[in-house]
Amino acid sequence: MQSTVQTKEVAPQPARRTGTFWNRMVRQRQLIFMSFPMLFYILLFAYAPIWGWLMAFQHFRPGFSILNQEWVGLDQFRFLFEDDAFLRVLRNTLGMSVISLVLGFVTAIGFAILLNEIKKSGIKRTIQTISYLPHFLSWVVVTGLVATSLSTEDGIVNIVLLKLHLIEEPILWLGEGKYFWGIVGASNVWKEVGWNAIIYLAAIASIDPSLYEAAEMDGASRYRKMLHITLPGIKPVIVILLILNIGWILNGGGFEIQYFLGNGQVSDWSETIDIFVLKYGLKIGNYSLGVAAGIFKTVVSIVLLFAANTIAKRLGEERLI
Amino acid sequence: MLTAKKRFETEPLLFHAFNYAIMLLIAVVTLYPFLNTLAVSFNAGTDTTRGGIYLLPRIWTLKNYEAVFVSGHVFHAFWVSVARTLVGTVFSVFLTAMLAYTLSRKEYMFRKIITIAFVLTMYFHAGLIPSYFLVKDLNLLNTFLVYILFPGGAAGLVSAFNMLVVRTYIHTLPESLVESAKIDGAGDFRIFLSIVLPLCAPVLATIALFTAVGQWNTWFDTFLYASSKQNLSTLQYELIKLLSSATNSNSNPNISSSAARDAATMITPLSIRAAITMVASVPILVVYPFLQRHFVSGAQLGSVKE
Amino acid sequence: MGVRARKAAYGLLMLVFAFSIIASGCSKKENAEGSGSPSASPQANSSSPSESGSASAGPEPFEISIFMQDPGPIPTENNRIYKKIKDELGVTLKEEYLVGDAEQKLGVMIAGGDYPDLITANTKLVAAKAVIPLEDLIEKNAPNLKKHYEKVWNQMKDPNDGHIYWMPNYGVYQGEFKTTQHYGPAFFIQKAVLKEFGYPKFKTLDEYFKLIEDYKAKYPEIDGQPTIGFTTLAYDWRDWPLRNAPEHLSGHPNDGGVVVDPNTNVASLFEATDIAKPYYKKLNEINAKGLMDREAFAQNFDQYLAKIASGRVLGMFDQRWNFQQGEDSLISQGKPERAYVGIPLVYDPSIRDYYVDRPVLNLNNGFGITVNAKDPVKIIKFLDTLMDPKWQKLFSWGEEGVDYQVGANGLYSRTPEQRKQQEDVTWKQANKAEALFRFLPKLEGKYPDGNADGPGNQPDEFFANLKPIDQEVLGAYGYKLWTDFFSVPPENRISYPAWSIDLVEGSPAKVANQKMKDLAFKYLPKAILSKPGDFDKVWAEYGEQMGKVDTKAYLDRVNEILKWRQENWSK
Repeated sequence: MQSTVQTKEVAPQPARRTGTFWNRMVRQRQLIFMSFPMLFYILLFAYAPIWGWLMAFQHFRPGFSILNQEWVGLDQFRFLFEDDAFLRVLRNTLGMSVISLVLGFVTAIGFAILLNEIKKSGIKRTIQTISYLPHFLSWVVVTGLVATSLSTEDGIVNIVLLKLHLIEEPILWLGEGKYFWGIVGASNVWKEVGWNAIIYLAAIASIDPSLYEAAEMDGASRYRKMLHITLPGIKPVIVILLILNIGWILNGGGFEIQYFLGNGQVSDWSETIDIFVLKYGLKIGNYSLGVAAGIFKTVVSIVLLFAANTIAKRLGEERLI
Repeated sequence: MLTAKKRFETEPLLFHAFNYAIMLLIAVVTLYPFLNTLAVSFNAGTDTTRGGIYLLPRIWTLKNYEAVFVSGHVFHAFWVSVARTLVGTVFSVFLTAMLAYTLSRKEYMFRKIITIAFVLTMYFHAGLIPSYFLVKDLNLLNTFLVYILFPGGAAGLVSAFNMLVVRTYIHTLPESLVESAKIDGAGDFRIFLSIVLPLCAPVLATIALFTAVGQWNTWFDTFLYASSKQNLSTLQYELIKLLSSATNSNSNPNISSSAARDAATMITPLSIRAAITMVASVPILVVYPFLQRHFVSGAQLGSVKE
Repeated sequence: MGVRARKAAYGLLMLVFAFSIIASGCSKKENAEGSGSPSASPQANSSSPSESGSASAGPEPFEISIFMQDPGPIPTENNRIYKKIKDELGVTLKEEYLVGDAEQKLGVMIAGGDYPDLITANTKLVAAKAVIPLEDLIEKNAPNLKKHYEKVWNQMKDPNDGHIYWMPNYGVYQGEFKTTQHYGPAFFIQKAVLKEFGYPKFKTLDEYFKLIEDYKAKYPEIDGQPTIGFTTLAYDWRDWPLRNAPEHLSGHPNDGGVVVDPNTNVASLFEATDIAKPYYKKLNEINAKGLMDREAFAQNFDQYLAKIASGRVLGMFDQRWNFQQGEDSLISQGKPERAYVGIPLVYDPSIRDYYVDRPVLNLNNGFGITVNAKDPVKIIKFLDTLMDPKWQKLFSWGEEGVDYQVGANGLYSRTPEQRKQQEDVTWKQANKAEALFRFLPKLEGKYPDGNADGPGNQPDEFFANLKPIDQEVLGAYGYKLWTDFFSVPPENRISYPAWSIDLVEGSPAKVANQKMKDLAFKYLPKAILSKPGDFDKVWAEYGEQMGKVDTKAYLDRVNEILKWRQENWSK
C-alpha cells in the first residue's frame, strides 16, 4: 500500500478552483465531451423506462396502457410485507447472501494469491483456465450435478464421508433445511471461484515487480510478501467489489440455485425474496408484485451502498463515489 | 532471486507441496462438471436417463450433436453471435474506458454526479414492459443495433461495474504521467488515448473478457427484441430453442395422449442440454487464453510507471 | 405518460445522445489529430435513422405468422410437410416458438400489441382483447371445422362473454374410441412383481403395498443396488404424484385440486381432509417399514427418472406420460419386465375406480386468430382445408409408400424400418410437423376409412409392438389392452373436468391455489416421514395451516364456473 500511496503523493493540487461555473465547464470541455454521451445513454436506456415503477401501485394487466389500470395504492407492498412468510424469506435471503459473499470473496482472493505463487506459467495458465470452466455451465447443469453428488444412494459426498468414517449413515443433504445455506454457498464457490479470481489475478499482474525484488533484498519471507505486497496491491479492487456486493445483498446469492435445489422439505430455509415473488407474482399473473419487490430491494440496496461507501471513506480506503 | 531462495530451504518446498496440492484439488473439482457434461453429450440419451455417467460415455453416440446441427440456422446464428460479441465488446470497452478516465479525474466538476448516476444503474431494473416500449419506440426492435445498445436487455453498452474496475485501476497509475502531459499541453482526450489507454491494457483485457462473455452468453435480448427475424438469431438463442423443444417433446401431457408415443425419442433433455452447453461454451473459451497475454504484460508496466 | 409524450421524450434523449457522441467524435478528431479513429460516431449514425424491423406479411403467396407456446422438434428449412403445404396451398408458415418464460414473452407481446396472425391459447390474450371471436368466421367459411366442433360448440365458449376464441386441439373424437394405453394417473407396479406372485388381482392399497413388501423382502437388491419400494415426486410444477392420489382412491375422477359431487355439482377440497388422510397415513406406515424412498421429496425430476430407469423402483403413483422417458430407457436396456402396469387402486373394493375418463375437450388450448391478422377469412379457410383427412393423415401417418403401407384390408401399417425412422429426432425435423400439428384442430379416433388417428392407436401396430412379457401379463389377466385394467368410464359429468378452470390471473383464487401447493409440499413429506406416533400431530398442524389459507376464494371461483358449465354446456 505504501508504495502506491507514495506514487500518488506526487500528484499536485487537484483543481485550480478559480473561475466561475462556466469557466470551469469550458476548461473541462474535453472531459464533458468524453463523458456526457455515456451519461445520456444511461439516462435513456436505464433511467427513462423507470416510469414502469408506477406498476407497483397498480394491479397491472397487460394489454392496457399504464394509465388505464386499476390503482391499488400500497396493496402490493402490503401483500409482500404482511405475508407470514416475509420475515422468513428475508432471513433466508440475507443468510444465503452473506454466506455466498464471504465464501466467494475469501476463496477467490485466496485462490488468486496462491495461484500467483506458482511460477511455472504453463501450469499456472492451465489451472486458471480449468478453474473458470464451470462458469460457462448453466445453473441447471450445475445444480443437477450438485443434487447427484449429494444423493444418499450413490452421491460422492456421502461415499467419501462414509469411507472416512465421519458419518455413520448417508446424510439426506437436500432434505434438511439446516444444510441448505451451506450447500448454496459451496455451490456458488464451485461454479464461480475461478471466474471471480480473474479480476484479482489481473490486479496482481499489474503490481510493480520491483516491489517484490526490493522485499526479497530485505529478506522478506513468502508469507510477508503475500501479506504486505500482494494483498495491499489488490486491496482497492477488493474494497470496491465489497461495496458493490453489499448493495446486492438482497439478491440472496443467486436465484436459479434456490429454484432448482429447493424443495418442500427445506422450503423454510430455501425460499428467498426472488423465489417468493416468482411464485406469488409472475407465476400467477401478478406483474405488479415483482415491481414492488424490486423497488423495495432498490431502496435497501442504495441505503446499504451509501453506508458502505461512507465507511470506506472513513477508513481511508478506495471508494465508489 | 537465487540468493534469496537459499535462505529458506525447507520452507518453500513445504509451501509448494501444499500449494500444488490445493491447486490440484481445485483443478480436479472444477474440471469435473465440465468433463461430466462432455461425457453426457456423447452418451446416448435414453441411456443417460439411468444416471451414473461420470467421466466417460457409456454408450457412445454423436446423435446429440447431430440434433444440434441439423437445423441450418445454427451456423448463421454462430456468425451473428461472433459479430455482436466483437462489435459489442470493442465499443463497450472503449467507451467504458473513456468514461472511467473522466471519472478518475479528481478535478472533473461532474465527477460525483455522473459516478452516482452510473453506480445506481446496478441496483434497479425498470422492468420488462417499459424497457420493451423503449426499444420499440426507438425503432430498435429486430435490429442488430439492439444487441449493441441494449445487450441482454440492460443498459450494457457502458457497464457501471466495468467502469469502476477500470477507474480503480487508473487510480493506481502514477498521477505524474497525466500531469506532465498536461504541462506539455495535451488535452484530456489525447492523454486518455495515448497514455492511459495503453497503460490500462491488463484491466481492459479483463473487462473485455467480461463483456465478451456477457455478449456471447445472452439470449434474452434476442428472445424479447429480435425473435421475429431469423437472420438476427444468435447462437445462444438457437440453442435455447432446441433445448426447450427437446424438453417439451418429452414432457407434454397432450402429446402423450394419442399419436405421441411412437415418437419415443433417443434424445432426452438431459443429453441435448449437455451437447448444447458444449457447443455454446467452447468458442468463447478460446477468448480468455488469447486475452491472458495482456494480463502478464501488465507486470512489465511497472517499469513504465516509474 | 401517454405514448406520444414518451416517444417524444425518448426521441429527444436519443437525439442528445447521438449528437453528443458525434460532437465528442469531432472533438476527438480535433484533439487527437486523426490518431485513432473516432469509433463512436458510426454507431451514432446507424442508431438515428429509423430502421423498421417488423417484417411485413408478403402479399402473394399468402404468409401466416404463428407463435407457439410449446415448441416441438423445430422443422428444418426444407421440411417435407411444410414444403407440401406451400406447394399445394400456397401458404408459407412463418413460425416462432417460445423459449424462456411465457409470462415474460406474452407480457411484452401484449403490452406492445405485436401479435402474429395465429397464436396458441392463453387466457391473458383474451383478457387483453388480442384475439378475435371465431364463431361467425367458422360458421361462414369453415364447413369442416364447423362439423368437427359441432358437438362441443357450447363448451368452446368463453364463460365471460360467450365468444369462441380458441380452437381446441384435442378431445374431439370420431366414433367409438378406445385407447390402447392409459397415459393418465394410476398406481404403477413393475411387471416383474406381478409375475413373481402369479399375476394376482387386487384393488386396495393394502394389497398393493403387501406385494411390494414381499417382493422387496425377497429381492432386497436389484442389479446390485438396493430395491426401492415406493417413490414419489414433488418437484416444481410436477406436483400430482404427491398430491392427486387421494381423489382417485376415493373413486373420483381427475378434477385437479378438488373433488366434485356428481349429484350436486359442488366442488370441495380433499387435501388435508379425511379423504386424503388414510393414504398419507398408509405412506407413513410403509415408511416405517422401510418401503418408502427416503429421498423422494428432495429429488429432482432427472433423479426421479434415473431411479425408474435403474429398474429398482417397484411402484409409484404418477401419470404415465410423466415417467415415460424412464420406461423408454428400461426397454432400451432390455429390461421390459421392469416396466410398469397401471392399476386403479381404491380405498375400498366397493368403490368403483375412476382413473380413466372419457376424452375431454382441451379447453383454452389450440390456436386463435389475433387482431393483427390482415385476412382472418383466408386463415380460417386454410385451417379448414387442413381438417381434410388427406392432410390429417399427412400430419399423423405421413406419406403413403414412404412412411406407411396400405394393406389389402385398407389398413395402414409401418415396417420396422419406418417405425425406427419415426424415433429419430433429426429425421423428424426434416420430415414431420409435430409442433404445428400438436396445436392444430385434429381428427381423433378413427378416420372415415377405418384407420386410427395414428400408428400408436392402430390395433395391429399395437400388437406388433408388444414384448413377450407384455403378452404374458395381458394373457394372464385375460385382457387385450392396457386400458382393460381400468373400469370403463361413465359419461363425463357435464362440468367435468375442474382442472381446466381458469382461476384468473393474479386473483385471490390463484394465490390460494399456490399456498395450498406450498403447504402440501411442506407438510406431506413431513407427515409421511414422521415417526408413526407423530403422524396425527403433523397432520393436525397441516390442517391448521390450511385453515389460514383463503380456500374460499379458490372454491368460489371453481364452483362459479362449474355452475356456469352445467347451465351452458348441457344445451
